[in-house]
Amino acid sequence: MSRGFVYNILFRTGIVLSVYIRMSLLKPFSKLPGLNAANILLVECEEQFQKSLADALVEETAVTVYVRLAKSLPLPKENEESRPRIDLVVFIINLTSELSFQSAEASLKYLDPGYLLGKVCFMVTNARNASVPTERLDAVRKLAAALHCPLLFAEDQTPDGVTYATKRLLSILKVSAGLVPMATALYLSSLTSCTVPPDIDQPSFD
Amino acid sequence: MEQHHNSETRTPLNSVAVQRRSKTKSYRLSYRSGIGAASRLGFTPGLTARRLNTSRKAPKSNNITEKVTKEQLALLVKTEWKLSYVTPLYQFRHTQLKSYSRQLSAFIAAEKQQGLAVDVEGTQNRFRVSFSLVQEMTESVDDAVTVFIQIHSKPLIVRQDEPQRPVWSGWLTCINGNLEYLRSLPKDFICLPLFCSSEAGGLTSVVKSWFQQSFDCCFGPLEISHTSLQWLMALWTNCHPESSIRQLKMIWTLPVEPQLQVTYTVNAEDAWQLWSSVRKENTAAAGEENSIDIEEVTSFMQGLKGHFFRHFRLDLSAGRLDEVSTALGSAKHSGRIKFSNSKYMITTLMLLTECALLKMPI
Amino acid sequence: MDESKKRLVQRLIRRIPTKMLKTTLQKWGHLTGEQHRAMDSIQSKWALTESLLAICEENELAVKHLTELEMIYMMDNPDQGMWYAFQLTDPGDDAQSVDLMQFKEQFKSHLRELVRQVSVKIKKHTDEAVWIRIAWGDAYSRPDHLKPTYVVHYLQTPYVFVTRLNSKQKPMLFQAMVLSTRYQYFKDANLSGRNLTAIRDLLMRKYQQVFPTKYPSPLTERKQTVTNPHVEREQAKPAANRLQMACEAFGGGTLPQLQSAVYKLETKFRDHTNTLMTEREEPFRCVVKFSSTNLLESLKNCASSGIASTPVTPLLSSIPLKGKNYFVITDNVPGPSSQMRQTQN
Repeated sequence: MSRGFVYNILFRTGIVLSVYIRMSLLKPFSKLPGLNAANILLVECEEQFQKSLADALVEETAVTVYVRLAKSLPLPKENEESRPRIDLVVFIINLTSELSFQSAEASLKYLDPGYLLGKVCFMVTNARNASVPTERLDAVRKLAAALHCPLLFAEDQTPDGVTYATKRLLSILKVSAGLVPMATALYLSSLTSCTVPPDIDQPSFD
Repeated sequence: MEQHHNSETRTPLNSVAVQRRSKTKSYRLSYRSGIGAASRLGFTPGLTARRLNTSRKAPKSNNITEKVTKEQLALLVKTEWKLSYVTPLYQFRHTQLKSYSRQLSAFIAAEKQQGLAVDVEGTQNRFRVSFSLVQEMTESVDDAVTVFIQIHSKPLIVRQDEPQRPVWSGWLTCINGNLEYLRSLPKDFICLPLFCSSEAGGLTSVVKSWFQQSFDCCFGPLEISHTSLQWLMALWTNCHPESSIRQLKMIWTLPVEPQLQVTYTVNAEDAWQLWSSVRKENTAAAGEENSIDIEEVTSFMQGLKGHFFRHFRLDLSAGRLDEVSTALGSAKHSGRIKFSNSKYMITTLMLLTECALLKMPI
Repeated sequence: MDESKKRLVQRLIRRIPTKMLKTTLQKWGHLTGEQHRAMDSIQSKWALTESLLAICEENELAVKHLTELEMIYMMDNPDQGMWYAFQLTDPGDDAQSVDLMQFKEQFKSHLRELVRQVSVKIKKHTDEAVWIRIAWGDAYSRPDHLKPTYVVHYLQTPYVFVTRLNSKQKPMLFQAMVLSTRYQYFKDANLSGRNLTAIRDLLMRKYQQVFPTKYPSPLTERKQTVTNPHVEREQAKPAANRLQMACEAFGGGTLPQLQSAVYKLETKFRDHTNTLMTEREEPFRCVVKFSSTNLLESLKNCASSGIASTPVTPLLSSIPLKGKNYFVITDNVPGPSSQMRQTQN
């Protein structure tokens, strides 16, 4: 998988490439990694679930986990100096809110395409909520599939749900931070990326 | 749950329990599994590709009023119904309604009297059940005839002049159910996927458990999703020139502490004008069906949200659409619907039938 | 016994919760110690009614005493039903010098001139508020003590708060009010709510206001909870900004409890993607109602969480700024002065 391939994906998904030139783009390899440390960026428009996730993530003892929280991308320029290399970007999407998805979609434009080689994942909450139209979940699936990113489902209301979500994020994070021998982010993402059934748009009537 | 099992042994319905075993195999076949779910990585088999239609016929002032009797229509409109879906009924016969009436009233009596044996024709039975058919309320030939059920409570002192009001009413219907699915059902199944009930007491669960035991079906709550609510808004507004919608009202809930509710009421004429402005050029030749696309529905909603945002700088997309209502009816996200005008009922019921079929478990 | 007295007692006992009855009766001060103890021991509402009726007979208490009891309860528990705010305008030269005695006398006499059958009771509350209870009657009937109007006025201020007033009685109250306070006009302040203190605080600006500042305010700092040093908020600054602007618009601390705000919009529909509607001459008519258990708090949260863009639109910030919760919005073209206009951009 080459960069050209990634750009190709971006064209297909309609993400404007012109922003790639801009400085506010978040880049995966512009800084050196820390020793036995992993940095995760949680992007969530509603800024709710990210707080409990962050508290759970830093509890990890095997590696030092640093969490950055953001409402949306781009990230403020003044933090650029102090910001470590981000190993994994997680977009948290609350399916009950249309805005949540729209915001994540807009944020993607400010991400260096290099991240799409295994350093981005989507985490969806409230997928079982009855008010959620299936179309919205479809849109998230399509987005994740088009960007070859994994799509995780999480439960944000219970402590157990937070624990499980944290565990899953940690296992991806460790790989993408290069802390797991013999595994790379790209390798993992080729196994875990989301796919969409070919007939997803089929109407229920002919 | 426990209670239902007990009541099965108490009530004279043994024949059903025996038959049940013979047909478990065919039961697997359902609307959603019809496509054959592929189990690829990252693909949850529970989520299938079946989705709500993205295009539907514009509601036309239906000839329902000519076909269905006034008395029967009056029973369906102006009541708020709680919606559920029902899986296909096994060995339900439209010809056996009299016997079902007796069975259900005995069942209720048994439930109410906590397991005492009762005579089916018993005089002390307080509940009178009546099953009836709403003939001609169908869209296609494959739709099963709608079944309407009323339960009356016999008052201790009967007064002649006072008409008795039912303590419970409900109906099962199928309007324009998916042909492919209906035809794929084994012979002994009747598909009436939409169950509407209205009551004051706790009779719904009793009725449901009688259906479950008699026809081996199962019930589940049917909520009206955001998309369906938007569809209803558009379908109703589309009727405005023929039958005034009086106003288009939406109720949104925004996730802040304390919860903020926004009631957005649009003048009927202006809502209609906005709706016609987002309608695509209708290329269909005269006489052909006028159809509405989801894109039009979405841009109608966008227009309304945009106007709101322009004034309050507040994005309704962050919230949830809870309720929509017009003079033609009202629908709530929690799964409650009210038809105020029988003329356009069929279109709404078609949408709800589709939702019910989609919500059925595999 | 007088039937009206009996019904008034029934109603009072029904309305006053049992646990509040004791203190209310003590404040009233028309019962002997013995009678107090007797009332305390009774549980059922029916028995309480009977007992109070007997006491009224025994102590020779009349309807006017009972209305006083009602007033005492009402003044302690004003948050019942909807309160509407009104404003007196164009004060006369002597408006500032009106004292309580003068006002009492004048209000009663002016109102009696307008309505013959009327019963007025005026009491001063501890917080300078003058409470007026009006039981209205008409040419054919005596004052109805079961449906009294309550008016709360702060002397030397233009604010008047009214509850349970019907449209027939409105002009009479207005006139009596204008004449006895030495003002020229009486107008609807377009503010209403279930909580009297809240709408009073809003109109009289008795809530914590936050003003724009260049320096980080203690408000925003307080909000930043100390978390793990490994967790960093990238957009802490914009978030603090949003909170600051939200507080500037709606106030800091505990906000007055308002239940709803209504906007009647008659503005042009503008959407660059929809030329058909944008070119339309007529305004797009709609009504938007915001409701919550504490509306200002909800709106403040909308702004601080980013659901509502900051700076907050004048439409929303006008609620605390103008002390109104009913607005008619039209485009910025010449029109009646009472309407709030919206700038076009």
